[in-house]
Amino acid sequence: MSYRVEIDRDVCISSGRCVADRPDLFRFDDEELAEPVPGATLPADAALLDLARTCPSGALRLFDGEVEIDAG
Amino acid sequence: MEEPAVTAVAAEEAAPEHRTVVLSTFADAKDAYRSKDLRQSLYDEGEVVMADVLVNLHGEEHRSRRRVENRMFRREVFERYERDLFPAVTDATIAPYVAAGRVDLVHLGHELMLNLAALTAGVDRPEGTAEETERLYAYMMSFIEGATLAHSTKDKAVQRGVIAQALDDWDAEFLAPSIARRRDLLAREAAGEDVEVPRDVLATLLRHADELTLAPEVIRREVAFFLLAGAHTSATAFVRAIDHILGWIDEHPEDAAAAVDDPLFVQRCIHETVRLNPSSPTGRRRALAPVSLRSGIDIPEGATVVIDLQAVNRDVTLFGADAADFNPRRTLPPGVAPFGLSFAAGMHVCIGQDLAAGVVQRADTDPGSHLFGLVTGAVQQMFAAGTRRDPDNPPRRDAATARPYWGSYPVLLG
Repeated sequence: MSYRVEIDRDVCISSGRCVADRPDLFRFDDEELAEPVPGATLPADAALLDLARTCPSGALRLFDGEVEIDAG
Repeated sequence: MEEPAVTAVAAEEAAPEHRTVVLSTFADAKDAYRSKDLRQSLYDEGEVVMADVLVNLHGEEHRSRRRVENRMFRREVFERYERDLFPAVTDATIAPYVAAGRVDLVHLGHELMLNLAALTAGVDRPEGTAEETERLYAYMMSFIEGATLAHSTKDKAVQRGVIAQALDDWDAEFLAPSIARRRDLLAREAAGEDVEVPRDVLATLLRHADELTLAPEVIRREVAFFLLAGAHTSATAFVRAIDHILGWIDEHPEDAAAAVDDPLFVQRCIHETVRLNPSSPTGRRRALAPVSLRSGIDIPEGATVVIDLQAVNRDVTLFGADAADFNPRRTLPPGVAPFGLSFAAGMHVCIGQDLAAGVVQRADTDPGSHLFGLVTGAVQQMFAAGTRRDPDNPPRRDAATARPYWGSYPVLLG
């Protein structure tokens, strides 16, 4: 099963790194915070882990079912 | 795996607010940087310049300002700077020194990065004269001294007065006219006129003035901070990178051509330089509440956390047995940036990271569309200009600070 992605809005600092790296997966909402693009096809888990690791604030969180993945 | 290094100064008997926890592993450092209960405290002694500036804010106040300012620090803006604006400024700055055949890299680095930082911060130089730039340079150097006052070897009380006066004078000469010009442009834009408002920090702050409600003295310090931070960190990286590359070429002459014509190689050199020489050798935070790191380290409320970036960035388990050496050809494990944690992480991750150092390369990076960062471009231009050490004038360290800065680095060109 593929990972599920959530953006923690209380943690996001709007660095825009996820939006710049994968505009097909993320965009800015009205408050300039990142949000997943609805209906986007997620890449393989390894690519999602890479994205989560490069999120500077740790706002990009991954879940395997209900269990959060520690991206490091 | 190394044991997490925890140093509790005067440990058990000390009150929590007097305890210091030193973190020296990559995982602990990243964890600490991302904790919302650890507040920035690196610039406590530099408040004459740093009070209420972005990098010193916390919580909602920080998020609000960063959200606004981040709009100016988007990758498409950086691309415009890197491709359209910076090359001409770099050429014009370096040209007289190439003609003279020599330059002190420390001065050139700050002059060049000042020219670039003035564009991003939003500080106009209407006269466009060398004398005007020299005055702005002197103000900037004073602000740098203010921000790093904790490491100054001078009388700090005296320096605070000198730096406060410099802020007043700079405001009158440079900032106030820059504000007036942008307010006028914004008003005309609001009235429907077709005008071009600069995309810089000052214009961004003024555009969102109602949302941010910043006092004039905060705007003043914020713009001064972006001027000094943008110029100083890039200038020190510029000098250090050239020093490292000259040393690398001594040992690896086969890479001499790459320093001139391979920007991907030069960017790896910049990242390696920044890893080995973080702008500040330590990060510093204060615990607003008890914090438990994933490794099991407990940080009591009130304690000071010192992140030992020299140790973190030279962790042999991540960077290899030669972690303490300069090696732009090294390979890295997944999830570890080539510059380590020199740009920090979490809420205070460097806002200008991609502007200064570019985007981290991947296996499929296309040099034609890649963002290399302004330091890469400047260093590559220096090697294209024939930079080599001056055998009669060896470099020397800066004695005015405990930080490991070069005070003078003469080189020959051409």
